[in-house]
Amino acid sequence: MFPKNQDLSLQSRQVQSQEPDTVETVVGPSVHVEGDFASEGNILVKGTVSGNVTTSRLLTVEDGAKIFANVKAGDAVISGHIKGNIKVSDRLELTESAQVLGDITCKVLVVSPGALIQGKLNMAGISIEGASSEKKRSVRSRLKSTASMEEDDSQQTVE
Amino acid sequence: MYVYLYDNFLRQKKYDSALKAIETRLTDYEIAGKIIRLQSFSNTKHIIDEEMRRGATTVVIVGNDATFGHVLSRGATCDVTFGFLPMGNGNTIAQVLGIPEGVESCDVLSRRRVVRLDVGWVNNRYFVSQLHVFPHDVSIEYDDSFSVFAVNKKMELVVCNLQPFYFKNKNGTKQAVHPQDGKLEAFIRPLARRGVFKDIYEEPSVFPFEEMVVRGKKPFLVEADGKQSKETKLTIRLAKSRIAMVVGKDRRF
Repeated sequence: MFPKNQDLSLQSRQVQSQEPDTVETVVGPSVHVEGDFASEGNILVKGTVSGNVTTSRLLTVEDGAKIFANVKAGDAVISGHIKGNIKVSDRLELTESAQVLGDITCKVLVVSPGALIQGKLNMAGISIEGASSEKKRSVRSRLKSTASMEEDDSQQTVE
Repeated sequence: MYVYLYDNFLRQKKYDSALKAIETRLTDYEIAGKIIRLQSFSNTKHIIDEEMRRGATTVVIVGNDATFGHVLSRGATCDVTFGFLPMGNGNTIAQVLGIPEGVESCDVLSRRRVVRLDVGWVNNRYFVSQLHVFPHDVSIEYDDSFSVFAVNKKMELVVCNLQPFYFKNKNGTKQAVHPQDGKLEAFIRPLARRGVFKDIYEEPSVFPFEEMVVRGKKPFLVEADGKQSKETKLTIRLAKSRIAMVVGKDRRF
């Protein structure tokens, strides 16, 4: 009834959906790109990019590839090194060889064992009670306490 | 009124029967017209302008990719509808345009499905099929936003418009051409090392772009639509919807 080998990885889904003719932006293994690099289509990085990378679709950073700046993408599959913040609007996949030095923002995160991350992780859509309200309460209580302290001070000065 | 520009190689006897069949079919469709045989030094712009002055509305190129490039590199500025009847060897553009070879191409021409095509603009002239910069120490700047250079310095650059560019990758042969996507595609292949029989290249990089500047300290060899020249700076741009072309139903865009 159901297919046995369901490969749900992003790359395989992308390959299935892509036509064989479609061209994506490819940064070859011995090529250096300097400057801000934006594309409307898929980006495949095999070389080195020194500058911000922006795409609304899939960004694939292959093993051995390096990006030294912030990354913004619709989806991303990272197998190489990134030194900078990553902002992915949907799904981020970090494979075994991935190394990230920077903050990550995404909706869905897939981390393979062996992937290295150093930085803050921020995921939208958290619904644990008190996760956001605690902060608000603490801020409110702090404000209240400061206000009451000020009132006490003023009363003392009047006296 | 239709004008037919025949390439010089069609004088060969082996094309006589195919040409006769095409001419008969064109007469059946009542779209037969004046036939002009091109020479290697024919100024196609001058010929098209002259025929337009005489009332030509459609100029049909009869030949292969080289003929197509030769006519349109200068003729792209003319405000006339172009048609294409592929004949002979080396016809890759016809497949992209959805035009079959032989007598069936006349059917496509008679249906007159006109689409405006993008063409490339390089140093004050048009190129329609492909531009090739042979391996050289060049730096490439894209859309005033980022620059690309190779570790080994020497790079080969191919800019595709209508003619497909084939390269081998890990999965086998890949083909890429998008004449109507509003961008040109640049394929960069850094030279890995010089072999005894042939040069060995790295995997190619692909960058879609609208404007590109290629600079070299020394003059580098460039081939655009089959014509070679030496340049130190190339500015390549996209001229959107420049050519009105009769295309087939099975076109690849």
